[in-house]
Amino acid sequence: MDDLALERYFDDSIANDSSCPLEEELAHQAAPQQVPSPSPPQLPETSGPGGKVRDVLDFSFLPDELNPQDDRSSKTAAAAESQAAALDVSHDSGIVQDSSAANLQQDVLSLGLGRGASPFCPMTPMTPMTPMTPVTEKSGIIPQLHEEQSRLAARKYARVVQKLGFPARFLDFKVQNMVASCDVCFPIRLEGLVLTHQQFSSYEPELFPGLIYRMVKPRIVLLIFVSGKVVLTGAKERAEIYEAFENIYPILKGFRKQ
Amino acid sequence: MQRSGLRCPGCGSSNIVNDDLYCHVQLVCVDCGTVVSEGSLADDPVGGSDVSYSRSTAVTKVPCQNLKKGLSRVKEMCRVIRVRRNIEDLALSYFQQAYEHENFIRVNLTKKEVLAGCCVLVSCRQMNWPITIGTISCLLNADPALVGGVYKDLLKILKLEALTVGIIEVLEAHCQEYKINSDQVPEELAEDCTVLTKRAKALVELAADSWIVTGRKPLPMLMAATYLAWQSLKPNKHRLKLSLDKFCRLAKVQKSQSALTRITELKEVLCKLGREIPWVRETVTPDSVIRLVGDILENRFALLRRALRNHEDSLQAENVVNSPNKETASSKPQELTENPPAEDRGHQGQESESNWGKRVLFAPPCVINRKRRRTEQPELIVTGDEEISDSEIDSYIRSPQEVRDLVQAEKMLVSSDKV
Repeated sequence: MDDLALERYFDDSIANDSSCPLEEELAHQAAPQQVPSPSPPQLPETSGPGGKVRDVLDFSFLPDELNPQDDRSSKTAAAAESQAAALDVSHDSGIVQDSSAANLQQDVLSLGLGRGASPFCPMTPMTPMTPMTPVTEKSGIIPQLHEEQSRLAARKYARVVQKLGFPARFLDFKVQNMVASCDVCFPIRLEGLVLTHQQFSSYEPELFPGLIYRMVKPRIVLLIFVSGKVVLTGAKERAEIYEAFENIYPILKGFRKQ
Repeated sequence: MQRSGLRCPGCGSSNIVNDDLYCHVQLVCVDCGTVVSEGSLADDPVGGSDVSYSRSTAVTKVPCQNLKKGLSRVKEMCRVIRVRRNIEDLALSYFQQAYEHENFIRVNLTKKEVLAGCCVLVSCRQMNWPITIGTISCLLNADPALVGGVYKDLLKILKLEALTVGIIEVLEAHCQEYKINSDQVPEELAEDCTVLTKRAKALVELAADSWIVTGRKPLPMLMAATYLAWQSLKPNKHRLKLSLDKFCRLAKVQKSQSALTRITELKEVLCKLGREIPWVRETVTPDSVIRLVGDILENRFALLRRALRNHEDSLQAENVVNSPNKETASSKPQELTENPPAEDRGHQGQESESNWGKRVLFAPPCVINRKRRRTEQPELIVTGDEEISDSEIDSYIRSPQEVRDLVQAEKMLVSSDKV
């Protein structure tokens, strides 16, 4: 079975099982595709003319506003003040839990630093990860990039499992957990924070150097460190991460020692 | 005497009398002479009563042995650290409650003992009695990580909230451990406990203000503060010569490894403040700063203010100098190709901006010594729908030859381990 036929087998099974996807966004062809060259395409694949030359795929898990083709126009920046460094996504495919095959899984997108902040501004502007942020000519970030990367990794893993001889199918990709890290660029008095937010925080320097803050709404666990780095985990969606950060930032600013 | 209610099994008559043979009690049927029952008590049913073991021995449920042992262990620990009576009672009640819980009822004995320690820890914390997890793990002779884990479980199960203990409160108890009274060590090395505690307290407060304490284990910090306090109270050559190792042996205290780094960090902070003292003419180095510690601590707030102000002033001056340079540099890229200088500028900007720690006077050491990634990670732009080539998938699967090699290597490892 050649490459494309294998892909089609996979994608057919998705198409047959799931409900009708967003057809208007894709140029889908039922006929066998023209393979441009025998050599395998390298990643990242530059987008072909119009949509992808692919059969109907299941996009039902993606949010409605996602427009991967149109979103390259610049929009006004979201002027949050800290420097978001990475967004890691872990997921659960219909086959296996742990997608260790693809090293894309672990790639951290270190987003643009040093973009022209004034020398007296202590923090760099937050690098775009929301659909409303501009796309620089340098990075060309597509919104929800890490979710796509993890989906690709899951597909690769499913192919590996299939290659090993198991009857595997790729169904119902769903992001189960998202981990984000960021830096507020000022030191934080953890002892003070644990005193004022006692019911949410737990700080045991003998056990772990960071403060564990369990936010109630949204239900996110934040690890706050003295250096100003914050790790947010437990989110099912990107919006939860942003909301949690919006909630914690004023609290942390209150503990900034001048 | 006729016994009502009984029937003779032989003839069925109810004419049964108590016919005792000396002291052997017997119930005999009058009509046929069969002995209905022998030696039975008056109210017992015929044929003996069905009495279960636990009822017959008239036993009340005794607490299990391990529970008793655990409770006595809790008491022991409370007596050793000499807490108040109400803390002891509270700890006992917590242990009683927690012991029955499914998380703790079927664990091994080590964990039960650790549970006893954690109950003591929780009650001390709740009553504001300063004690560290390190102390409890020493008492139990257990791994602090295990103690920490059991402690967290206990808090969750009993739904308690325990305050974090402040480092200053533990300091007094810590300083009392050091055996450096005048009757224990020679005169030039001896120090009074209260004086030592007072100075160590000031040092710890200074350290906390300059971000050395937050996020770190408290014990090394306390040790460093005590050592420097002791050295600075009488900075004669005997004391200055004595290293931390020897000091701990002198005071019969176990040395902790990270105390050395804390000493270095604390000395650096003291140097920064020492430089601000107006009457000090010679340069302040970590070695010479010990003699100045007394003065520094007395006036530390004023010196801190001065230091911060001077630092800000020097930063301002630097920026004034730098901005003309930046202007000339920015005019260059218009002549050259855009990308390399822009990257350079961006790179440098990234360095100085991402490490704000280098620009402030006091910052947590983890920020100042920030580790940088050696290689920049590539930004991959994917859509999740790319084609996955067969050869790429093949590269993830081991070939049969590799599998054979691996199995062989594992066999060799196992055999070499056994040897």
